[in-house]
Amino acid sequence: MKETTVERKYLPEMQQKEMDELRNTVKVASEKIIADNIARMKKADPHRPDAMKYFDDIANLFGKRQQEIEAEKAKGKKVIGYMCLFAPTELITAADAIPVRVNSGWYDTSKLGDRVVPVEVCPVIRSTIGAKMIQLSPFLEQSDALISVLTCDGMTKLSEILSDQKTIWGMNVPRVKDSTHSLRFWSDEIKQMKTQIETFTGNKIDRKKLKESIEVSHRATKVFRRLQELRKGNPVIMGRDAMLVNQAYSWDDKVRWTENAEKLCNELEARAAKKDWVVSPDIPRVMVTGTPMFWPDNWKLPTLVEEGNPQGIIVADEQCSGERILNDPIGVDEWSMDDMLNAISERYLMASTCPCFTSKDGNEDRINWLITKIKDWNIQGVIYYVIRGCMLYAMEYSRVKKALDKINVPVYYLDTEYTREDVGQMKTRVEAFLEMLNARVDF
Amino acid sequence: MAGEIIGDILRLTVLAGLGVAGIAAVLLWKKNLATRVTFLRFVIQAVSFAALFYVFSYTIPLLYVLIFVFVLSLFLGRFFCGWLCPFALIMDLESLLRRALKIRYRLIPDRFNVALHKSRYVIMLVFLLVPVALFVFEPKEIMVSPMMAELLAGHYRIYNVLIDPMIPFIVPWSNVATVNLAGVNFAYPYGLDIVTFTNEQIGLYLMAAFVAVTLIGAFLIRRVWCRFCPTGVSLAAINQFKGFKALPLLYVEKDEKKCTKCGVCKRVCTVQVNEVYEQKGGKIGTSQCMLCSRCVEMCPYEDALKLKLGNKTVFRSRNWLKQPNTD
Repeated sequence: MKETTVERKYLPEMQQKEMDELRNTVKVASEKIIADNIARMKKADPHRPDAMKYFDDIANLFGKRQQEIEAEKAKGKKVIGYMCLFAPTELITAADAIPVRVNSGWYDTSKLGDRVVPVEVCPVIRSTIGAKMIQLSPFLEQSDALISVLTCDGMTKLSEILSDQKTIWGMNVPRVKDSTHSLRFWSDEIKQMKTQIETFTGNKIDRKKLKESIEVSHRATKVFRRLQELRKGNPVIMGRDAMLVNQAYSWDDKVRWTENAEKLCNELEARAAKKDWVVSPDIPRVMVTGTPMFWPDNWKLPTLVEEGNPQGIIVADEQCSGERILNDPIGVDEWSMDDMLNAISERYLMASTCPCFTSKDGNEDRINWLITKIKDWNIQGVIYYVIRGCMLYAMEYSRVKKALDKINVPVYYLDTEYTREDVGQMKTRVEAFLEMLNARVDF
Repeated sequence: MAGEIIGDILRLTVLAGLGVAGIAAVLLWKKNLATRVTFLRFVIQAVSFAALFYVFSYTIPLLYVLIFVFVLSLFLGRFFCGWLCPFALIMDLESLLRRALKIRYRLIPDRFNVALHKSRYVIMLVFLLVPVALFVFEPKEIMVSPMMAELLAGHYRIYNVLIDPMIPFIVPWSNVATVNLAGVNFAYPYGLDIVTFTNEQIGLYLMAAFVAVTLIGAFLIRRVWCRFCPTGVSLAAINQFKGFKALPLLYVEKDEKKCTKCGVCKRVCTVQVNEVYEQKGGKIGTSQCMLCSRCVEMCPYEDALKLKLGNKTVFRSRNWLKQPNTD
């Protein structure tokens, strides 16, 4: 680990001993939580698909994948972390580097983050700062550079705070999406990022490599969409399992992830043919939208929904930790370098339904997309999940509520924190909502 | 005579058969959903090219062809431009070449593009109004004016210009504007008219310049001529008005709820139509659109874009990452 000689602008000095102690405590606790979460997921579905075993392994952040990346790094590969979905991972893989997402889901480290930023700040940011302080997150530690996309206020300052210890490349996102000059601006950012990645890794991104890399993404998107199609019908997979699979993509090897997800889909298809439903098809179908939920700690909502009484099942989500990762393919028209770069920039900017955007008619894309999802996935209720401090999602709630009221789909605003203290209270709230959904179905 | 007719029917049948076989081959072999329709379009363009060659080898008055195309455009919009026009085939082949060379296309600024598009109506109007103008200036001589006779029926028929893009680059006749290579007459759209409307010597140079300019233009800019070609005047311009909305039978329809505004449709459009991207659902009522269906093909969201004939969906956008079902 390279200790920085630069003056720390944000992060407090910590004794090595204190750091180690804290890291070990949190790590041990976190490993327990990962094991516990997986055990619960296994329990919820007694004959869980065999293909999920692979994802359980990958889900252990301190396990297999960490060692793999370490080995790759020893061979001279660079690791480039990113904190927001807007980072063009295709460019990273095309330059023979490893992309990993480094947002933190640890509850405990968010308390540490309080030493740097006030508690009002989004817990994802605080937790990531805390993880950096005690060097907890394996992927954050392994990454040689970080792409920080300046989407929300939290991300903007987070990149500044982390720049104490990491190389940070900021990417400026235009907030107004549907104008030509926004797109031009963003395309320039992508092109600049390409040069930056090239100089950093020393590998030139040529046409062939980029094409390969895009095709890898295409295959992943294809499987991803297949998995989501499978969730349209009667439930064949628990929502938590599918969410874990989706999220694992952001730190797993893309090719291997695709292969294993394909296996999972095959298995699920066989199940669907046998009408072997994972839970009764009558239980309420719930969709989660809002703030991202990061593995491993921030898994309380899906657990509560799927283990509640009455039980619900999450069949879709609209989160950047979930379905937004892979939903949109990169629509390349001509396989020339420029067109590929344009396609990448369009896919990351225009197709995104992040609430950090606005446009002439407000963020209408997101509303439309939500409504389409609700219809296609036959969703009975929406949980609008917001962690306190996430202004953008919180502020868009009333608009979503109005739009969903029109199509008569109940939506429930569930706000929480990076803490385990409110699980009991949340349980009551979630169960009340599910009860209400059940009552609606009965009518 | 009867033998000739039977021979022609046979030839046309073989042609149609080849076309159907080509379409079937594309549908069966072209697994990639993102390029399938484009290939299909190439097959249809080739068939139409051959068909026009046959049409021109008879002494069918060209005016009938023109009337046919305009009536077609009344109901099918600019379907002709997108799928049948031989000049467009030349430009598409050039695009293929450019793609193979991995050279990026250039874009025309949007405003200029729209202005070009509107100019086609002006050009068309000018051609149609020339006889009227002459009539105004020389009312007495309307029937006897040799110039008038020339314009309506003679060598300088005004509607010739409108037929020009339909002239395949291999033609059954030979004249000053064709080049005979190995027994095949090569022509170029607008070539003959440039030569006949001007002095023959300068005309040939002008024609060469025209060929060079359009070839280079189409190489750099996709479908450059289609942006102001007066033959592409479409009734889609009329259906903006009340009462004409039901007129076009073939149209692209957008479902806004399924659209995430990812912008693919805008980028892949060969004539830079923005309406598909910008319009809030419903019929895409722009006469710029040639219904080539590239946007429908590339749209990654199921059913977000549809090509409709009447109320029936001919073709809809799909998740093109999926392999097509062979059954």
